[in-house]
Amino acid sequence: MAELDLKAIQKRVSAGASYRKMVAAAEAGAPVCVASAGIPNEVMHAMGVCPIYPESLAAISSGIGKAGEFFDESKAHALSSIICSYTRCGLGICWTSKTAFGAIPRPNIAITDVNVCGLHLTWWAYMEDHFTLPTFYMDMPATTDPGAPDYIDYYESQVREMVAFVERTTSRRLDMDRLHESVRSSDLAGHHWKKIMELRRNRPSPMSFRSLAGQILPMVTALGDPDTTDYYEALYHQYLADAKEGKTPAKGGEKYRLIWDGIPIWHHLQLINYFEEKGANFVWEPYTSLNWGNKTRTGRLDLDRPFHTLAEKYTNVWTNKPVAKRFDYFDQAIRDYEVDGLVTFSNRSCRPMSMGQHELVQLVTERHDLPVLIFEGDQADPDGFSWADARTRVDGFFEVLEARRKS
Amino acid sequence: MIAGFKERFEQRHDRARALKRQGTKVVGCFYGLAPKEIVHASGMLPVQLIEDRDARYEAKSGLLPFLCGMSKNLAGQIASNVFDYLDGVMVSTVCDTNRHILDIWVHQRAFPNQWLVRAPTKDDEGAVDYFANELRRLAAELGAVSGTPVTDDGLRESIALFNENRALFRRFYDARPTADVSAEDAVYVFASALTTPVEEHNALMRELIGSLSPGVPRPDPKLMLSGLNIPMAVDVIRMVEKYGAAVVTDDFTHNARYGSTEVPVDGDPFRALARGYLRRVPAPGLYPIEGRAAGIRDAMERAGAQGLIYLIQLYCDAYALEYAVLKERFDRWKLPHLRLEAEATPGSIEQLNVRVQSFIESLL
Repeated sequence: MAELDLKAIQKRVSAGASYRKMVAAAEAGAPVCVASAGIPNEVMHAMGVCPIYPESLAAISSGIGKAGEFFDESKAHALSSIICSYTRCGLGICWTSKTAFGAIPRPNIAITDVNVCGLHLTWWAYMEDHFTLPTFYMDMPATTDPGAPDYIDYYESQVREMVAFVERTTSRRLDMDRLHESVRSSDLAGHHWKKIMELRRNRPSPMSFRSLAGQILPMVTALGDPDTTDYYEALYHQYLADAKEGKTPAKGGEKYRLIWDGIPIWHHLQLINYFEEKGANFVWEPYTSLNWGNKTRTGRLDLDRPFHTLAEKYTNVWTNKPVAKRFDYFDQAIRDYEVDGLVTFSNRSCRPMSMGQHELVQLVTERHDLPVLIFEGDQADPDGFSWADARTRVDGFFEVLEARRKS
Repeated sequence: MIAGFKERFEQRHDRARALKRQGTKVVGCFYGLAPKEIVHASGMLPVQLIEDRDARYEAKSGLLPFLCGMSKNLAGQIASNVFDYLDGVMVSTVCDTNRHILDIWVHQRAFPNQWLVRAPTKDDEGAVDYFANELRRLAAELGAVSGTPVTDDGLRESIALFNENRALFRRFYDARPTADVSAEDAVYVFASALTTPVEEHNALMRELIGSLSPGVPRPDPKLMLSGLNIPMAVDVIRMVEKYGAAVVTDDFTHNARYGSTEVPVDGDPFRALARGYLRRVPAPGLYPIEGRAAGIRDAMERAGAQGLIYLIQLYCDAYALEYAVLKERFDRWKLPHLRLEAEATPGSIEQLNVRVQSFIESLL
């Protein structure tokens, strides 16, 4: 695949391009939906609904250093700083009716998943109330067995009810042919994403976690869109070529292969570069490898059963699995990706992601005796994060890695 | 007789151990929305896991620093074998911490058995169907542990007993603002319900209600206290009284709020229990905002309260977000309120003095 193709497609799926698409579609009369990450956006795409994702916008705003005014807005509305920074920034975006890219159109509806975290219920209930938005809650009870058939069936009923909700509150109707096409497109995107992840088994791994943290955006927000599918296919071919050439973001060659556990630290993504400057590369993360893509047993979406396959995919939530099960994934990845160390981000904003990390680290170190570096901080709010302190800790971690390499 | 409630609360571990020695199996419930009826119907004693006044437990928790003091306090109690009498724990989700601490307890093998209540967040027929099946699954598992299968008739009897407890709470809270019961004693009336066998607590409540007489008029300003942490609530009540005001009613997950609805007793008891729990007891995120705010306002009006103290335990994101949401309503209604955010430590509570005093003075 030619590099020029990738660049051209990239321009169509970037955060800014997605924003412009959304504004244009809204101006053309498409309904706008305030949506949470983790709801089946294939359905929204098939129905011609334009989603706004406050969490993704919060991450982007933080990543480009433009989240400050949204946090200020949340303070003015009495939101305590102990509340998730996505929630605070996301509500700030809704209150100010703008993003880092410009004004957002008035939304028509809202849809949220209630299982990503407990705050989503109150967050969307607030938007339903404050902005008088018709709101749908994709019910997904807490569980430790997300693969249970009755659990998937219940969520399938929610996907169908979501369609009914959109049809009831907007002029849009579901065309099953469009849904099939959307799911097919999503399946291919997910398939290529999985192949991209597997390329990281190469020594050296050709890709940087910092790049992936941005490249994952369409996987979160724009599945069903053919541009997304094209993008991941082109990206795969680019990385395949890079792998064949032995490219690596690690300066001076890939000396250490690491795992990152947690959401990226959006406000200090340069932390990832600092690892790379010292000769390390992240080769596996639950965030990229397990949170998104075709999370079904087969790794593909079942095009004959679109509702059921989406239910199976979206109920497969990483944080709903017991610690022992999560460890199985780490155990496998450490061996498959020949990992030398683990970096854990203990994220004060995200209790579901952070709780159990300590126990996971215990299991990893017992089985694999890997060095572990733990950062504490917040995913989107830079308050209290010290860049100098972080670098010092990374330096210390590398001393341990180096000592082990010599011994 | 009011002392009996406090005594039962303070001696809750010894009492549970005594029942255990007599052959009763005991299940810890975390937190207020665990369906205790089903535990009771399986012949076991449901007791709620409650934070202890001893803040030193937090240091033994091993939990992340940004988690709430309640979870850390409980984890510290577990590490100290305070709950050595439990045969299992049942977790029903009200927040991410309470949900995911179960993962840690499972990993630690902290209890012989553990159950996660897979409760929907909706209350439509599909949700009731799903939850009724979930309750049947739980009943089968609980029965296997206790040796007493949960029958329809047995479950109906348990529901009736807990309904009686709810009804007694409603009567108590109707009488409370003018009755000769102190605010601190009132806390123990509902706190003891969390750990005392329901038959015993019903008997105590009946006796209490029958003996209530008008008390001396409470001083102004009269206040309502909304919170979660019981020892912190007692500290704030004492602080309010120190500055000449009175707490005349309170709003916790497990008092008047819990008593605000009854579980239907007709038809399939599992479906009835499902209906009775889904979105019935107001909790952050599990109840419409308008209804939750109006519930607080109406309770204040009934009790003659002129102001509200909304007490948030530090790092409790569920209550912190709920406050911001409710605040819009309170401001619109010009409902005087004070948000307090603190840890359950003497030093942190001490710092609330000035704010409580100022709030009270603003209402005079």
